[in-house]
Amino acid sequence: MLMTSGPWVWIAGLLTLAIYSFLYKDNPFYKVAEYIFVGLSAGYWAVFLWWNYAYPNLFVPLGEGNYWNIIPIVLGFMMFTQLSKRTSWLVRFPLTFVLGVSLGLQVIAAVEGDMVPQLQGTFSPFAKGALFNTYNFWTSIGLIVLLVGVLSTLTYFFFSREHKGVLGVTSKIGVYFLMVAFGASFGYTIMARISLLFGRLHFLLSDWMHILR
Amino acid sequence: MSILERISNLDRRIIFLTVAIAVIVPLFLPLRLPIEVTPPVQQLYDVIDSMPARSVVLISIDYDPSGAPELQPATLSIMRHCFAKDLRVLVLGLWAPGVPLGVSALEEVAVGEFGKEYGVDFVNFGYKPGGAVTLVNLGRDVHDVCRQDHNGTPVDSLSMMDDVRAANDIGLVISMSMGIPGSDQWIWYYHARYRGNLATAQTAIGAPKYYQYLQSGQLVGLIGGMKGAAEYERLVGRRGLATVGMDSQSISHLLIIGFVLLGNIIYWLEKRKK
Repeated sequence: MLMTSGPWVWIAGLLTLAIYSFLYKDNPFYKVAEYIFVGLSAGYWAVFLWWNYAYPNLFVPLGEGNYWNIIPIVLGFMMFTQLSKRTSWLVRFPLTFVLGVSLGLQVIAAVEGDMVPQLQGTFSPFAKGALFNTYNFWTSIGLIVLLVGVLSTLTYFFFSREHKGVLGVTSKIGVYFLMVAFGASFGYTIMARISLLFGRLHFLLSDWMHILR
Repeated sequence: MSILERISNLDRRIIFLTVAIAVIVPLFLPLRLPIEVTPPVQQLYDVIDSMPARSVVLISIDYDPSGAPELQPATLSIMRHCFAKDLRVLVLGLWAPGVPLGVSALEEVAVGEFGKEYGVDFVNFGYKPGGAVTLVNLGRDVHDVCRQDHNGTPVDSLSMMDDVRAANDIGLVISMSMGIPGSDQWIWYYHARYRGNLATAQTAIGAPKYYQYLQSGQLVGLIGGMKGAAEYERLVGRRGLATVGMDSQSISHLLIIGFVLLGNIIYWLEKRKK
């Protein structure tokens, strides 16, 4: 039976059409849907942050006698001191704390999670000296292409000398690798966008209109 | 106005309409184009397939409803595979709006299809705030980070969690991710410290970046976008939304390739004319 869904599916269906109507031209239906989205998001996140971050992680443990939590609560309230010119200097303390923690985490992440394993992954097949013995032919070719790609792309971003001669040729090869990477990203982006469109159209045709089974 | 000028000034709404038609028509007239399974997806399937019964798989729901068309089919297929192999599934999420999607997937697959028991075969810890800090602590002490499940039940009263205490009790982590916090944090803060098997399912936009982690061995599998989900659906032998969407994907991709070629030909002809 057509169009017999519940009220929430109807609301979702109508809002979807209102948002897509922008593709024709800007109109009041689109504006209404946009404002509803912005308003709901603001309200949702305000309530959400309180009940999922502040209340269970700060105030509940504080009520159970964990008085160390006073420190983050005070630091949190100090963020509001920037609202007044007279007290705005106090905001440096919580910001410094956040920067320090973030930096510590990021440095470890960059070295342990990215730089070292990626260097190992790129160079270790060659360091072992057993490229064609350990891996099959096409994997070995792939690893060589990978190494050429890494080195030539790095060369492209080496700006301390003019890109002439060997440096120029290598950086030019690096540009081609970058182009292939951008092309792959563009292709994947199209795939993602079509997936989103498919998801919405499938919802409209099946969950809302019941045309599709 | 010449044909060349007419085409180059084509109303973009006509392009939108043709793309919409290219997506809709295959829904009514499915072509059932073949879906080839790629090595990154096969690798993940093989890892799950080789895990001993009652091993623990942690599925992190790191997406919201906008990522659902691409990631929810993959979540459902992975859960089907896990429960078919009698693995235990632990669900949590670094994205709050993803929690209802995780709940719905568990209700559909664990309860509806496999009749699994909550607290024994699967547990849902819901949203876990804190991103990087949470993941660092999770690997050290799961019970400390997940003191209560999604419904407020204390972790100690869930029998499944008796022998799941730290990272080495978890056989595989799969981050179903569409951004930050997500797979990046799992790789940088969890895998870098605790190692173990880590895999990811990504929206298509994010997928290219993660092939490097696959090559370096930091990931044991990668599902990229709706196509990857369709491949996994094929491996578990159950057609889902991703498989249905592949015809629409293929036709609209052909159309867009046509538009790109047409645009370049017109650009080249106009340049030549000038």
